[in-house]
Amino acid sequence: MRKAMGLLVGLMTSVAFASSPGGHDDSTPMEKEEQDVAAYILHHVVDSNEYEFEVPLGDHHIPIHLPQFGIPIRAGASCEPRDTGDGHGKAVPGWSEGCLDLSITKHTVMMWLAALLLVGSLLLFSNRDKSKLVPRGTAANLFEMLVLFVRDELAIKNIGKEEGPRYTPYLLTAFFFILFMNLLGLFPWMATATANIAVTLALALCTFVLTQIAGIRAAGLGGYLAHLTGGVAPWLWPIMIPVELLGLFTKPFALTMRLFANMLAGHIVIFFLLGLIFMLGHPAVALVSVPFAMGIYLLELFVAFVQAYVFTMLSALFIGMGVAMAHHHDEHHADAAHSHDHGRAHH
Amino acid sequence: MAEEKEPREGEKDGELSETARQMRAAEPYISAVWKLVGGAVVGVLGGYFLDKRLGTGPWLLLGLSLVGISVGFYGFLHEMNRLGKGRR
Repeated sequence: MRKAMGLLVGLMTSVAFASSPGGHDDSTPMEKEEQDVAAYILHHVVDSNEYEFEVPLGDHHIPIHLPQFGIPIRAGASCEPRDTGDGHGKAVPGWSEGCLDLSITKHTVMMWLAALLLVGSLLLFSNRDKSKLVPRGTAANLFEMLVLFVRDELAIKNIGKEEGPRYTPYLLTAFFFILFMNLLGLFPWMATATANIAVTLALALCTFVLTQIAGIRAAGLGGYLAHLTGGVAPWLWPIMIPVELLGLFTKPFALTMRLFANMLAGHIVIFFLLGLIFMLGHPAVALVSVPFAMGIYLLELFVAFVQAYVFTMLSALFIGMGVAMAHHHDEHHADAAHSHDHGRAHH
Repeated sequence: MAEEKEPREGEKDGELSETARQMRAAEPYISAVWKLVGGAVVGVLGGYFLDKRLGTGPWLLLGLSLVGISVGFYGFLHEMNRLGKGRR
């Protein structure tokens, strides 16, 4: 065990040294090294049109250019990707003006991979002898445990016994998709799609739409719209309706930021700890920063599960609050009718 | 009230988690607080952007901010009153 750990730390150190952008030239000023490390970290965390394989123990990269394409949304906009000249095919300034960028990026590839893993693993592990009640094998048992956890502990406990099972398929999809995306980011040469705000926003919007559907199902379309008026007199609606509409978006906003920030921060911390070796310019720093980075890496493994759980739990909680909207609506409705009558009586 | 006699969805067997129960209980109060804050936000932002578009100096910003804050206060007090009545 100790030998294996030593080997792993050694390997990580050598990979970290090998993948330094400018090598470890002692004559480089510290400021330049800091800038290099910052640029290196950013380059590895943000999305790009280029998939880069770094060869371990060597100082060269194998770039794979992903296809770029867009749809013109303004008249006369040209969506032809231009070559930047350096052969890297990075996003061209002005290219997206009037052009909807639908290029395939590193994070898109990661999402496809996560989706493939999700479908593949669940098809494989749910395929068992249906005549026997108990699944056999570690993977089948592990997945059954996770699926049952999402259904019993998240869906039913937060939405309710009657409505919970209706939303379980969505919650399971969200849980496993996020989990796979988070875990994929921990492998070498991979990227974390959940550290991209566009991805987390899209996921949160799915929850948002489902929450609104749950509210409409529970309170009826009329009741749902009445809820948006805030239960005040009609002449106050021009202000109150925008307030309530804005209020609807606070929950998906919280979901978006939480997942995005948590996933991004962990990776930046790992890269930064390894970057310290080059910033301080002494190999001995690796003795401290590599074990620390390993610790954070293990924490990230835990965070991958926790964030998938938190997103699913909060989604279930919000959907459950949408389901419970019918009760608030009845009170609101009675009150709005009352104030309306009151207003008329005054006239 | 009718809904007080009849247990709410999911509460019948007490199978809801503590968090879900507390969030559902707190939801009307969170919504009331949002009305107070949101009124000011909508008033200030609405006034700012209308001023920018119409070039009416600071007047729409000032006016709509006051209106927004007032409506926010009204909505908050109205909701609190309603919740107070419901509890009695």
